[in-house]
Amino acid sequence: MTETQRPLPHATAWSAPYWDAARDKRFVIQHCTDCDRPIMYPRRFCPHCLNDTLEFRPSEGRGEIYTMTVQVAGPPSGFGDRLPYVVAVIRLDEGVQLMSNIVGDDRESARIGDRVRVDFETVEDGQTVLPVFRLERG
Amino acid sequence: MKQVKSAVVGIGEVPSGKFPDRSELEAAMIVCREAIVDAGLSPRDIDVILPVGALANSHWQVDLVFSRLCEELGMLRSVKMNCQVMAGGATSSSVLTVADALIASGQAKRVLVVHSDAVGSLPKQRGIDLFATTGVSEEWEAPYGHNMNAVGALAAARYMHETGTTEEEMAAVCVSLRKWAELNPHAMYRTPLTIEEVLSSKMIATPLRSRHCNMLADGASAFVVAAAEDAASITDSPVYVRGHGSLVTHYTLSQDTDLAKLGFVEAGRQAYAESGLGPKDIQLASIYDAYPVWPLISLDGLDLCRGERAGAFVAAGETDPGGSLPMTTNGGMLSMGHTAVGGGVAVLVESFRQLMGKAGERQVPNLVNAVETASGGTWMDSHVTILSREAA
Repeated sequence: MTETQRPLPHATAWSAPYWDAARDKRFVIQHCTDCDRPIMYPRRFCPHCLNDTLEFRPSEGRGEIYTMTVQVAGPPSGFGDRLPYVVAVIRLDEGVQLMSNIVGDDRESARIGDRVRVDFETVEDGQTVLPVFRLERG
Repeated sequence: MKQVKSAVVGIGEVPSGKFPDRSELEAAMIVCREAIVDAGLSPRDIDVILPVGALANSHWQVDLVFSRLCEELGMLRSVKMNCQVMAGGATSSSVLTVADALIASGQAKRVLVVHSDAVGSLPKQRGIDLFATTGVSEEWEAPYGHNMNAVGALAAARYMHETGTTEEEMAAVCVSLRKWAELNPHAMYRTPLTIEEVLSSKMIATPLRSRHCNMLADGASAFVVAAAEDAASITDSPVYVRGHGSLVTHYTLSQDTDLAKLGFVEAGRQAYAESGLGPKDIQLASIYDAYPVWPLISLDGLDLCRGERAGAFVAAGETDPGGSLPMTTNGGMLSMGHTAVGGGVAVLVESFRQLMGKAGERQVPNLVNAVETASGGTWMDSHVTILSREAA
């Protein structure tokens, strides 16, 4: 295992299924079984009704770019060798939002409103898989 | 309309910048003494001290919490409560609201608020990494390389997309603030800046270039709040706290569903209603900046641009010295320097200074009413405060 300064996610008891799914290259979204609403990020209790029976449902991981930036310089520790990288807020078709990276050779051509689809990136530690997004072209 | 309960009666401040030989303690002592003397009071007239949070040095932060300033300033056995208020960049408006409420409820008579921090003396990468944790989720955002410049960039990109604001207009915010900083001896950057210089500076995170980004600075400021009915007997230039409004819209930036507006419309409506004043009554806009998009969002939300788009309003010079709506006359964090929590406190203290008629070369003439804004973390909240020379 290579050393990395890049911050890695530390799962909580209630977010572990999200990261476990990512490791299997599946994208899931937490839902409340009572009020039936999607929840992002995974929470201990439903933020809409405070119910505690929540479940993860499969998602196609499709949505559009709500906003984005191409980080060209001045990155936090652990990201120097990734420049230029794209930080984006994705608005998923389910209506919830999350932060991610737009990846791929065409990442710098991404624009607000572009359609994107989830992909999975294994981080340098070999253990962690991050959901990332690619432009859906054509 | 809310009955006015408190007024600011004294202020203190040291220059912002890189001052490795000036400790946080020394700077705090200087600004506290200045604020107390400015009010014509003595340390034992203070019954509550509200030191705001410091980020650079954890021991100093702990000292602030554990009454060090009471001991240093000769306030032992006279101050009844030393209690920290901390809401990041929104601490300015938040701590004033807390002081106002303590006074309104009879729990305090004279409140001393103080900030002192030295983030400007941190090594550059440590500064970047520190601010990559303030309102950035360790689990959900840090793994994607999120950081404070990206925060300003992500909001700017969405705001420009929705409003049609141009890169030149975004740069005009930095230029307008610099014109004020040229007149402020406490500002970190005082040499003239042009739109062309901003737009030819190094790209950091699209659409932000290096001159769109603030620089971390060491700094300190303080102020004294007293009961409104006592204020006129303490000083001949009290600044009355007329109204406040605020709204929390996110913790992580990715969860805000309206990044181009945040909560400034709602916060402004609440503050105007409390004060009995409206946009037309405001002659000074002290707007929390840090990055150029936030003043534009605030100006729009507070309806201060006479129906114009904020970007066009600023680019036309309306917020410059001599313009129709002087804005953030200390130069803001973009030119005075970003002293962490103190960036907002300095904007608030500048509002008091202007309303007290003590702003020297940059004094706004015939000033009666001012609006101040603040926001913390990744602009998690929208605060609006209305201040006035008049109690009603």
